[in-house]
Amino acid sequence: MSGYPVYFAKRLAQFALVVFIGVNLAYFITHATPIDPVEQSIAAVTNFSGTAPDAIAQMRSSLRELYGLTGTPRQQYLSFWSRIVRADFGPSLSAFPTPVSTLVFRALPWTVGLLVTSTIATWILGNLLGGLAGYYQKNRALKAMGVIAMTLHPIPYYIVAFVLLIIFGFVWPVLPISGGSAMNLPQGWNWAFISSVLRHSILPAMSLILIGLGSWFLGMRSLVSNIVTEDHVRYAELAGVSSRRILVSYVMRNALAPQVTGLAMSLGGIFNGAIITERVFGYPGVGTLLIDAVYAGDYGLVLGVTTISILGVSLGVLIIDLIYPLIDPRVQAR
Amino acid sequence: MSRIRALLTAVCVLLSGIAIAPLASFAQGIPQNIPRKELLILENPEGTIKNAGWFNMWAINAGSQSNGLQQSALDTLWYIDPDKGIDGVWENSLAADKPQYNADFTEMTVKLRKGIFWSDGVEFSSADVAATVNIQIKNPGMRFSAVLAGNVASVETPNESTVIFKLKAPNSRFHANFTVRWGAIWILPAHIFEKVADPLKFDFNKPVSLGAYVLHSYDPDGKWYIWQLRDDWKRTSLAKFGTPGPKYLAYVDPGPPDKRVIAQMNHELDVIHDIAPEGMFTLARQSKTTKSWFRGFPFGHPDPTLPAVIFNTQNEQLKNRDVRWALALLIDIKAVANASYRGAATISAIAVPPTGGHPETYHQPMEEWLKTFEVDTGKRKIKPYDPTIGKQIADMLRPSMGEQIPTDPKEISRAFGMGWWKTDPQSAQELLEKAGYVKRNNAWFAADGKPLSVRLMVEGDLRPVMTRAGTMIVQLWRQAGIDAKIDVAQGTLLTRRAAGDFDAFIGWSVETWGGHQDLSYFLDSWHSKFVAAPGQPQPLRNWQRWTNPDLDKIIEATRKVAFDDPKGVELGRDYVKLMAQEMPIIPLMAYNVFTAMDETYWKGYPTADDPYTDPVPNWGNSRYMFVKLKPAN
Repeated sequence: MSGYPVYFAKRLAQFALVVFIGVNLAYFITHATPIDPVEQSIAAVTNFSGTAPDAIAQMRSSLRELYGLTGTPRQQYLSFWSRIVRADFGPSLSAFPTPVSTLVFRALPWTVGLLVTSTIATWILGNLLGGLAGYYQKNRALKAMGVIAMTLHPIPYYIVAFVLLIIFGFVWPVLPISGGSAMNLPQGWNWAFISSVLRHSILPAMSLILIGLGSWFLGMRSLVSNIVTEDHVRYAELAGVSSRRILVSYVMRNALAPQVTGLAMSLGGIFNGAIITERVFGYPGVGTLLIDAVYAGDYGLVLGVTTISILGVSLGVLIIDLIYPLIDPRVQAR
Repeated sequence: MSRIRALLTAVCVLLSGIAIAPLASFAQGIPQNIPRKELLILENPEGTIKNAGWFNMWAINAGSQSNGLQQSALDTLWYIDPDKGIDGVWENSLAADKPQYNADFTEMTVKLRKGIFWSDGVEFSSADVAATVNIQIKNPGMRFSAVLAGNVASVETPNESTVIFKLKAPNSRFHANFTVRWGAIWILPAHIFEKVADPLKFDFNKPVSLGAYVLHSYDPDGKWYIWQLRDDWKRTSLAKFGTPGPKYLAYVDPGPPDKRVIAQMNHELDVIHDIAPEGMFTLARQSKTTKSWFRGFPFGHPDPTLPAVIFNTQNEQLKNRDVRWALALLIDIKAVANASYRGAATISAIAVPPTGGHPETYHQPMEEWLKTFEVDTGKRKIKPYDPTIGKQIADMLRPSMGEQIPTDPKEISRAFGMGWWKTDPQSAQELLEKAGYVKRNNAWFAADGKPLSVRLMVEGDLRPVMTRAGTMIVQLWRQAGIDAKIDVAQGTLLTRRAAGDFDAFIGWSVETWGGHQDLSYFLDSWHSKFVAAPGQPQPLRNWQRWTNPDLDKIIEATRKVAFDDPKGVELGRDYVKLMAQEMPIIPLMAYNVFTAMDETYWKGYPTADDPYTDPVPNWGNSRYMFVKLKPAN
């Protein structure tokens, strides 16, 4: 057997290995954390009450049993893998007894909706404008855009987010500054809810696009600037091929391949949630869930989110790896 | 090129369109379809609730409690207000009277109020109280099961309005479990929970209410909860205080501090639970409708807790009282107040927070004792107390804050505290020498050559005010030659605090009722029998792991006197004296909470001038606000 099937099998095995190592790392790192979920829970329920010390000791042992934290480390590890293969991440410790999967799948649509849309929009706009800027290097509007991209690119994300919040939330208060939809609006497939969701996503999306645009723009402009000096482009120009055709068929197409890889990686990483975005805009997504879980020592939830994230990123890379030989003749399936 | 221009123009138009599109509906952050004049919007400091649909407060970690559930829908036998209360600090809520104990405190009898109904029409009775106890004892994973199983031998209900608790051992403070300070053991509906197979896995959604409000709606993603006044609110315990003002309550997660300020400036958040001092100053300066606890500086409400430098007294170096006292005398409390609260702190030299009724019960009566109190440095006896420090803080702030700083000595004491310990490096040096330390090249060493080092643990970004205080204290200690370091714990603080993995930390181990002078709420757990061995988890709240036979005597004596017995205050003062002599914690100040209240839609918030309750909206006591608030127009 040779050719594409072997390539496919190898990449699949590589995928499985990456996932196995990644999930194991996540497991051991979360279990090595100095945060004890039982102590966190006890502190949460007794922080404002005068519970007697002997009652605390009893609560501590009850919780250890309830949370499944008894047993040897080996038993706990094996139990973890047996649940993972059944896609069961167990109960969340900080929202006991709700299953981790319920919490993750409730938060995921928000994150995916916001980040997929803004990532794709950023990618299209950034590459399109970057490609044009790289090709029409003397155009003043595109040059100005390059300066804007260079300026915005290094600004920390949260600064842009807060500037937007102040402008559109306070100085000119036309956009919602918090949440995923309006309060007291039942969720459903109706225009009132959908338009509310769209309106609430404008500021977080705008902040993501403004910052993300710069990196795609600059990357694409630099790729195109190199390609236009290559022999095949010069030859096409000398041969009288139209400028538009050279841009689309000779330059952009070649420059897009690494950008597509970048897009796949970005889309895979979406499962992490944009933690800062969700924090700043109070957006109900996986990022918020993850950071709260870390502070609460909720291993189960942290593992649930990170495992889905590992799967997402690895799957994104796998799909690109599998598609590449089919779309790019320079990559051979050996 | 024209195509490029067209494309760029289209992008600009699109982006402008996106920004302008929502102009038609500029209202934001306000519940839809509810008249604003009937709605009070409060911050839920728990943030976004992961498990939004859980209302079973009796299951551990199941959901939110500060989302209005404990403030508006639950009830229990008694309340003690951290401030003055509407009708005194003590409230008989579901109970008709105070708890009645037998002579040896092994039995507590409770007479219940009649005419109180659950929101589903079932009358509240002794069966509910008995079920609250029995169901939790039978299910060890429940929130109050351990405390009830440890205390209650049996619970009897001779009739519908009487409950008799038979206790396993004498306990003159058993009623504290059913007395709201911040929260308490809330009464559950027997007619619902007795039909549930596993109460640990029961979400209690939709909750049946015993309070004046019922759940109207909530966000499945946990950002907001709306409660609606019951049609039959007169059949609840709150009715005796009058008609609740707001018909609707919205508990929301407004996001980080800056957004809370923006939301209140936009009149979309009536009560901010807490913000950084700078946020409070901004609101005070820019919002004409924002009100705070104090009319002016220092604005914040002093909670009945006492931030302090808490030593790990099991640490070899810190076992010595002279070392602890030396570290106290190296602190400049004015610098700490400035660093932590920008001066807006209410300081306390004694181990009782200067809040609620405590200034009258402890701080003022003990002032003379403090003035004559002496510490032996080994070379001489010093009087470390300076009664003028509160005034010095006020004077320090007056040039920049002007008229906001009070001039009346009583007002100054109330806002900034009374006195504190003098900064006295010379006496600190003598105390360290007495403890066997030697100073070489501006560094202190023990006889075995080890430097005197203290890791001061702080919470970090999660509690910035206390982190700033800790940073300043470390700086002061370092200037005096102590090898002091800041140790930022972030989310690990709770675990490390329990394990004793610190030399000292900024936090509190003293929490009081505020409105009541009894100190056993926290003090009972300081008995030496509860102190864990080094490395073992320490039960609440003696984080300093301090043992002292005299303290045990005070605690044991307190257990034998009734809750309201004046002897309790005498014992409390003995405790204060012992703490000053031994200094196992260095008391700093009250935990000031910068609660900001917007008067655009509602008037009648609690303030230092009308202290009928704590304004901090996650306390169970904040239900008093609902009856005192009236529409602004």
